[in-house]
Amino acid sequence: MWLIHLLPDGLLVWFVNVFLLLGILATLASFFVSAIPLLDKYRLPAQFISVILLAAGVYFKGGYEIEKTWRAKVAELEVKLEVAQNAAKNVNVQVETQIVEKIKYVDRVKWKTKTVIKEVEKVIDAECKVAPEALTILNSAAQNKEPVLTGEIK
Amino acid sequence: MRTFLTCALALMLTGCGTIFAKPDWPAAPETLTKECPDLKQVPETEKLSVVVDTVVDNYALYHECQAKVQGWNDWYKQQKNIYEGVK
Repeated sequence: MWLIHLLPDGLLVWFVNVFLLLGILATLASFFVSAIPLLDKYRLPAQFISVILLAAGVYFKGGYEIEKTWRAKVAELEVKLEVAQNAAKNVNVQVETQIVEKIKYVDRVKWKTKTVIKEVEKVIDAECKVAPEALTILNSAAQNKEPVLTGEIK
Repeated sequence: MRTFLTCALALMLTGCGTIFAKPDWPAAPETLTKECPDLKQVPETEKLSVVVDTVVDNYALYHECQAKVQGWNDWYKQQKNIYEGVK
């Protein structure tokens, strides 16, 4: 009942119960109208109106109960959504922290290795002279390209 | 007649009701959205130590990129579980 969504709960309860009560009282009263001579001619219209009132009251009461159920479901879902959103934020923080730690570790290992290279570079360079072709091949691979060697291969 | 039609239409719609509720898919952490950089190239040299130095740099770039990809997978798995838990 989308119209009922717009009304506050207190007003709805009041409206629905008053309507139902009116319907019940009017229906009961309509059966005693015939006892009053002056009002006897209004018996049929009174019964007709009171039954409509009663039917409408029962309809609205049913609709209100359904509305109550839906509002409870919405409230439950809103709580779940909030829990999920907080969990999602926590995951973001946790993953970001883990990655930052991993990258810091990679950096640490890199700089330690470079330090070691610096310490032994004379030993590494003493026995080996790198051919330019090796650099061309390595750099092509770094760019994800097929190597193109120029000049004569000795 | 217009009033009657309006009331009839309003009454017909009283049975309608829908609830749309699902969590918004969260934004990924900033660290994950940075692209992996290109590999470094070896400068012109005859020294093996320079070559080894560049290779070490590139291995580090690979490991950083690997950490990011692993991070993406972990992030997606966990967020998917949370998202499906709300349905």
